[in-house]
Amino acid sequence: MAKNVLLVDDSSTMRKIVGRSLRQAGLDFGEIFEAADGLEALEVLEKEAVDIVLSDINMPNMNGIEFLREKSGRDGIKDIPVFMISTETGDDIIGEAKSLGAVGALKKPFTPDKVNEVLGPFM
Amino acid sequence: MNVSSLEKYITEAALEVFAAMIFIDITPGEPLTGRDDTIDSSLTSMIGLAGDLRGVLAVHCPEGAATGITGAMLGVDLDEIDEDVKDAIGEIANIVAGGLKTALLSEGTEIELAIPTTAVGKSIRTSGFTGASRFIIPFTTPAGNFGIELRYVTS
Repeated sequence: MAKNVLLVDDSSTMRKIVGRSLRQAGLDFGEIFEAADGLEALEVLEKEAVDIVLSDINMPNMNGIEFLREKSGRDGIKDIPVFMISTETGDDIIGEAKSLGAVGALKKPFTPDKVNEVLGPFM
Repeated sequence: MNVSSLEKYITEAALEVFAAMIFIDITPGEPLTGRDDTIDSSLTSMIGLAGDLRGVLAVHCPEGAATGITGAMLGVDLDEIDEDVKDAIGEIANIVAGGLKTALLSEGTEIELAIPTTAVGKSIRTSGFTGASRFIIPFTTPAGNFGIELRYVTS
């Protein structure tokens, strides 16, 4: 069954590019939801049937790490898998994200082939 | 870390983002290092750098380059600077700065990135760092020329 995806990034351009890359990668996904920061992402997760989250790290209001921390404490949404998509791919920041439940990371910039390679097994 | 390394890291990061996500050819030129060197610009996206290297990375675009690059990124035709253009050029600044951060980390230099801000207007110039070094790398694209400036001081 096709999975519903939540794209979290303060850049509307980047949300469009990630959505386009999912299509170009040939991945089987359902509806795409969007959020501009962690706060909006939590609201979407509480209301919509989201199967996987692709989230930036460096965002205003609530960044990707704070989002993971808050999400991990909420029953009902805490087990939805999150991928980090960011320019921030140092071991420290990705290690912290994974300790808070992130299941993987994709570095910006990325190609559709890379999207397929990293996200394909989860879609 | 020396000037030529910084120029190389920024050039490589720009080439990578254009090859992976924008799909138009860009050709880097010789870095401009004169105190009064500028790039004609209608839109500038800036991102603050903190840590072992402090300063500003700025992407300067004339209107034609800004709309052409954004159009290529999004697969649409644009003829004026709008919110999408400001957002797209800001994201390019963010990714290039991220590439610089990753490259510097490999040689033990740690920096942190702020969130990009974009200003629309002619001849915007960065300033405010006493004793800072600076250079601008000009790039040629089919959509027009643009430049990436680094103004910085090191700890």
